[in-house]
Amino acid sequence: MMELQLGLALCGNSAKGYNLDDFNIGSLCGNFNLNNNIMKGSSSEILDVQDENNVQVLQTLPLLVWDKDDADGHNESQRKDGDENGMVGWPPVNALRKKLCHQSRHRLYAGAMNYVTVKNGGVGGGGRGSNCYKYVKVKMEGIGIARKIDLSNFQSYGTLTDTLISMFGKSRENGDVYKLTYQDKEGDWLLAGDVPWRAFVGSVQRLKLIRDEDY
Amino acid sequence: MAYSFPEEVLEHVFSFLSSDKDRNAVSLVCKSWYEIERWCRRKIFIGNCYAVNPRIMIRRFPEVRSIELKGKPHFADFNLVPEGWGAYVYPWILAMSKSYPLLEEIKLKRMVITDESLELIAKSFKNFKVLVLSSCDGFTTDGLAAIAANCRNLRELDLGESEVEDLSGHWLSHFPDSCTSLVSLNIACLVSEVSFLALERLVARSPNLRTLRINRAVPLEKLPYLLRRTSQLVEFGTGAYSADVRSDYFSNLTEAFSGCKQLKCLSGFWDVVPAYLPAIYPVCSRLTSLNLSYATCQNPELGKLISQCHNLQRLWVLDYIEDFGLEELAANCKDLQELRVFPSDPFAAEPNVTLTEQGLVAVSDGCPKLQSVLYFCRQMTNAALFTIARNRPNMIRFRLCIIEPRTPDYLTLGPLDAGFGAIVENCKELRRLSLSGLLTDRVFEYIGTHAKKLEMLSIAFAGDSDLGLHHVLSGCESLRKLEIRDCPFGDKALLSNAAKLETMRSLWMSSCSISFEACKMLAQKMPRLNVEVIDERGPPDTRPESCPVEKLYIYRSVAGRRFDTPGYVWVKKQL
Repeated sequence: MMELQLGLALCGNSAKGYNLDDFNIGSLCGNFNLNNNIMKGSSSEILDVQDENNVQVLQTLPLLVWDKDDADGHNESQRKDGDENGMVGWPPVNALRKKLCHQSRHRLYAGAMNYVTVKNGGVGGGGRGSNCYKYVKVKMEGIGIARKIDLSNFQSYGTLTDTLISMFGKSRENGDVYKLTYQDKEGDWLLAGDVPWRAFVGSVQRLKLIRDEDY
Repeated sequence: MAYSFPEEVLEHVFSFLSSDKDRNAVSLVCKSWYEIERWCRRKIFIGNCYAVNPRIMIRRFPEVRSIELKGKPHFADFNLVPEGWGAYVYPWILAMSKSYPLLEEIKLKRMVITDESLELIAKSFKNFKVLVLSSCDGFTTDGLAAIAANCRNLRELDLGESEVEDLSGHWLSHFPDSCTSLVSLNIACLVSEVSFLALERLVARSPNLRTLRINRAVPLEKLPYLLRRTSQLVEFGTGAYSADVRSDYFSNLTEAFSGCKQLKCLSGFWDVVPAYLPAIYPVCSRLTSLNLSYATCQNPELGKLISQCHNLQRLWVLDYIEDFGLEELAANCKDLQELRVFPSDPFAAEPNVTLTEQGLVAVSDGCPKLQSVLYFCRQMTNAALFTIARNRPNMIRFRLCIIEPRTPDYLTLGPLDAGFGAIVENCKELRRLSLSGLLTDRVFEYIGTHAKKLEMLSIAFAGDSDLGLHHVLSGCESLRKLEIRDCPFGDKALLSNAAKLETMRSLWMSSCSISFEACKMLAQKMPRLNVEVIDERGPPDTRPESCPVEKLYIYRSVAGRRFDTPGYVWVKKQL
C-alpha cells in the first residue's frame, strides 16, 4: 500500500522519492516510484503499465506517428458506451446540438427516399437545406425512363446505390444485381467506387446502373 | 475623536458600486464599512451553489433584490455529470421566500428547478421581474404557466437552452391581459407549439419588448405578424426558417424585417431554406450579433449574408461556412470580436466540409478586434497557432476543439505544444483556454509559465504525467476553474498542490488517475474543500483504495458538505 504524504505548501514534504521543489523542468525523468496499479480506462496507450511492484511513469513519450486508422480502431475499443463513436461527451457539443446533428443526418436519408414525392422541387428541402445541388441523370439498364438525382444528399456509395435501386423499383431479392457506373468530366465511363466519395461527386456527370453479368 | 461619514452618506457612495469585486473590497476596509455594505448590497452572484448556503447568504445580506446562482459543473453540458447529481434550487427559493419578499430577479445556470419552485416564486415575490433559466432542467410548462399568471410586473422570461418538459403550449395564454411589462421573452428551447394568437396578442400589448426569441414550431410565414407588432425589437430569434418558396411570403417577410429599425441581433434559423435569407438583407448592415449556429445553409448563400454585415461584432455559425466563408468574413467584418464555429457533423469519420486552420488564421489576420474564439475543426498546425498568436495578442478567450483526440500537427506530425505555448505567451490577457490535439507535459509548462491571467482551463486527452497538472496548479496564479478529462494526471500533483485548490472555485477531473485514497486524504486534510467522488461502479470501498476514481469534483465551500447527494457520489462523512 502506498504511503502518500500530503504537502500543503510546496516546500513541505512530498511523496517519497520525489520532491517537486527540486524539479528541474529540463529533466523530465523524475523517479516516481509509484507502488500501485494505475488502472487506466481509456488512455492506456499513454501510460505504460508495467508490473505491479515497480511501475515507472515514463518520460515524455515517443511522439505518436499519426496513423489515423490505427488510432481510430484502437481508441474506440476502449471507450465507454456513450455517444456515436463510443466516447461520452466528446466532441464537446451540448445535447441540443447533438440532436440537431442527428436530425439533419436522418433528413438526408429521408430526403433521398422521398425523392419522388418532394413537394417544393428540391429547393433546400430536407437534406442540409443546401443549395449545393449536384443533379445528375441516372439511367438503369432495361428501363426506358431516366431519372435525376441530387448527389449532395448522399455521403457514400452504399446509400447512393441502395437509393437508386429502390428508386427504380428493383430490389436485390429479384435476383438482379447491378453495377453502378458513371461518366466523368473527361467523358469516360468508369466503375463507381474506386475513388473517394468526394472526388467522385466532384467529377461525375451522369450515372448508369448496368446488370452485373458475372452473377 | 474619529471623524466619519454618517452611514447614509456611505451607503449612498456604495450605491455607485456595482461590481462584486469592488463591494467585497469595501467590506474588508473596516467593521463599520462591512456592516453598512452588507445592508445595502442588492445583487448577489454565487458561482457555485454549494460553496455557500441560503442561511449564510441571508444572514449576511438581508436586503437582496437579485440573485444569480450556478450549479452543475460545466462538463454537465456534455453528459459527464450523471442524472441526479444535485444543484437543486428549491432550498434557496424556500429560504428566500421567507427572507427576501422584495426579490426581483432570479438567474440560474445549470440548476434543477421544479414546478414547485416556480410556483413558489410566483406566489412569494410580489415585485418579481426577471427569471433567467440558462441550461436548467426539472420543470414543465405548468411551472411556466404559474409564472405567467402571477407575476404582474414580469419583465424578463428567458429559458435559455433549458430542457423543459413541454406539456402544452397553453401556458403562454396564462399571461393576463393586464400584463404589459414584458421587455424580454426567450422561449426558443420549447418544442411544442405555443398558441400563436396568444403570442401575437402578448407581443402586441408589450410596448417595451426589446428581445423576442420564439421557438422552432413557429413557422416562417407567421413571422411578419409578430415583427409588424413589435418593430422596436433589438434582438429577434426566428423559429423554423423554412416554408414553401412563395413570393408573397418573401415580400411580406422582407417588408417586416425592413420595418425593424432597431434590430441588432438575430438568431434562430432552424431548417433554413436559403431562398429566404435575402429577406434579412435590409437589416444586415445594422446587425452586431448573428447566431446562425443552427442554420444548415452553406456557401454561397451563407457567405453572401454574412459579408453584408459590416458592423458584426459577434458571429456564431456552423462549419458550413468553410475556410472560404471565413476569408470573406475577415474581409468584410472588421469589427468582429467573437467568433464561434460549431461542427455540423461532429461524429462523421471524414470531414464533410472544407474548414481547416486556414479559416481561423484568416479571421485572426483580418479582424483586429477579435478577442473571443470557439473553433471546432479537424486539423491544426503549430505554424497556424503561431500566426494567430502573433496576429491577436488581444485574445481573451481561446477555445480550440480539434475533433479527433490527440491529433498532431499535420505538417510535422508532432505535438501542438509550441503552438499553444505561443498563444499563452503572446496573449497576455488570456482568461479562458481550451486545449485539444496532441499535447505533452510541455504545453502545461508553457501555460504555467505564461498564462498568469488565465481563469478557466479545459483539458482533454493531453499530457504525459503528473508534471502537467503540477505546472498548471503551481503556475497559473489567476486560475479559478479547471476541468480535466482523460489525462494521465495522478495523486502526486493533486496532493502537492492541495492548498491551491482553496484559491479556486472548482476542479473537475474525470477518467484520470486520482486514487480513492488520495481523495480521502485530501478531504481529511482540507476541511474547507468539498471533495466529491462520483463513481457509478458502486461504493469506492469495494475496490482497492489505489484504484482511480471515475470522476472527481472538488470545490471550496464555507457551507460544509452537502446532504443532497445521490448514491453514486461519495463525500467525506465527518466534518
